Amino acid sequence: MVAVADRRRRLRALLRRLPGEYPVLGAIVAAQVVFLLVPTLIVLVASFQGGSVIRFPPDELSVQWYAALPGEERFLAAFYRSVLVATFCTAVAIPVGIATGLGLIRYEIRFAGGIQLYLLLPFTVPLVVSGVVLLLIFRELGVLGQLWTVGLALAIINLPFMIWSVTSRVNALDPELEHAARNLGAEELQTFLHVTLPALMPGVITGGLIMFVLALNEFLVSLLITTPNIVTLPVLIYTSIRANVSPLVAAVASVYVLAAALAVLAADRLVGLEEFLRS
Amino acid sequence: MSRRSERWSPLLAARRAAVDALIALKERLPEDAYRNPPTAVGYLLLVPALVLVGFLFVGMLLLAWYSVLTFDPIEILVYELTLENWRRLFATTGYHVIFLRTIVLTTVVTVLAVALALPYAYLTVRVRSAPLRKLLLVSLFVPFFTGVIVRAYGWLIVLGREGVVNAVLGVFGIGPVRFLASEGAVVLALLQIMLPFAIVMIAPAIQNVDRELELAASNLGADRLATFRRVVIPLAAPGIAGATIVVFTITAATFAIPDLIGGGRVDFVANLVYRTLFDSGNYPLAAATSVALVAVTSAVVVGIFRTIGSGTLGIRRGGGGG
Repeated sequence: MVAVADRRRRLRALLRRLPGEYPVLGAIVAAQVVFLLVPTLIVLVASFQGGSVIRFPPDELSVQWYAALPGEERFLAAFYRSVLVATFCTAVAIPVGIATGLGLIRYEIRFAGGIQLYLLLPFTVPLVVSGVVLLLIFRELGVLGQLWTVGLALAIINLPFMIWSVTSRVNALDPELEHAARNLGAEELQTFLHVTLPALMPGVITGGLIMFVLALNEFLVSLLITTPNIVTLPVLIYTSIRANVSPLVAAVASVYVLAAALAVLAADRLVGLEEFLRS
Repeated sequence: MSRRSERWSPLLAARRAAVDALIALKERLPEDAYRNPPTAVGYLLLVPALVLVGFLFVGMLLLAWYSVLTFDPIEILVYELTLENWRRLFATTGYHVIFLRTIVLTTVVTVLAVALALPYAYLTVRVRSAPLRKLLLVSLFVPFFTGVIVRAYGWLIVLGREGVVNAVLGVFGIGPVRFLASEGAVVLALLQIMLPFAIVMIAPAIQNVDRELELAASNLGADRLATFRRVVIPLAAPGIAGATIVVFTITAATFAIPDLIGGGRVDFVANLVYRTLFDSGNYPLAAATSVALVAVTSAVVVGIFRTIGSGTLGIRRGGGGG
């Protein structure tokens, strides 16, 4: 409740402040903030429902559904798998992203335009088709149903995010800095470790964070390529919602909202949220 | 070489030792190999990404091949070539309806998302107050990072029979109104999913618009709307093109929202593919449907490329200046 009141207060402060600078724009954007936040945060409110049916306004408030979470082994196992998959996906994507960024921008590559177009394939192929494609491949290879395939799949479909984050940094890195380091007697390796890599770090952190969070949340491709034994949390939430809209699922889903908030906080602390809006 | 400011630490020492060892190792290599790194290194660096994306590339070929294989209810796949799947896809009105609905609703969502993203991105970039900018960024990224399933669930709670909107309407003695399982609800929920994508794509382009140009326009007598339309939007065109392409392709392939919010009445192509795949096990027909979806979305993307350019999706080269 405190959070809601706080938000309302901040929103009011926001509205009061806006008319000075951009009145019309401010009103439109304030409505968008509500539009973006309400369906996201409503899950938190619903999870404190006392009864077993989600209803507004809630009958009574209670934390019983959170208390029930530790006993829900299906959800815990799925959550553990989701974290595992996201970690694997990020661990694959980071080195690949760094190598690709350096390769594309620092070297004279023939057909660079064509290669860039090819590397955008994960974005241009509709997600459901990527899912079907990976399902067919993993089936043909006989590895369907192994958890690592999910991590690999998510690394593939979100790879352009990682490449973008790194390339924007490689672009911004002034080659003169590396030359200067060499002129001052630094080894190529030292230059890479002490000049190039630190300069790329914000891009790597941004990209890595995006990869991890997207993998933690990924649903459609996971739905297609997971077998019942390796369902990840979003897939399990989906099947549970289809069964019934119990507040228990709201409590599970709230974990995601909190994870998202944590990720945003981490991103802000580590690189600043503005970094995500750079080209 | 003075190291005044550095304190000795085991970690640092270990790192130096490791780097020294690496350098020693490297110096055993022929000098040319690292002094003038051949372009081969550049290609070598690209190999992992090329292989990863290769899964999709090879998979697309596999998909095209599956689409001309024969389906058998018992054996599932028969390796005999046929055009039956394609004939069925083209001849069935039900499939046409789903494809048409996907394209129309996706276009609506794309236009709305890009139109709404422009003011949001603009204000986020230009607003002077730091806390306000932070609020806008947080409201953008928390939903973005929350994922589609949780937000679909949120929309069920907002629009459901005993949901938030009906509770509010009930106070005025209206309803309950059935919002779910309608095209409007699907568009609304999709818009909330896609808006952050559009903002994230457009904001960098607006960041690159020189503020001086806007001031010049207003000095020359343009009002705010005219400045926005004649200066900001044309200069942000690459971002708008990128956003349009990304939002269109993701929305056209959407599954969760039509399934959960549309309740089987507002199916998109993805829902059709899923049903074909898992309800009837008809892999060849699902493959043909997938190939058709790729063809349709590619045609639209190429259309956007032609009219407003490839936009921010291209990776620019060059040192200095981000």
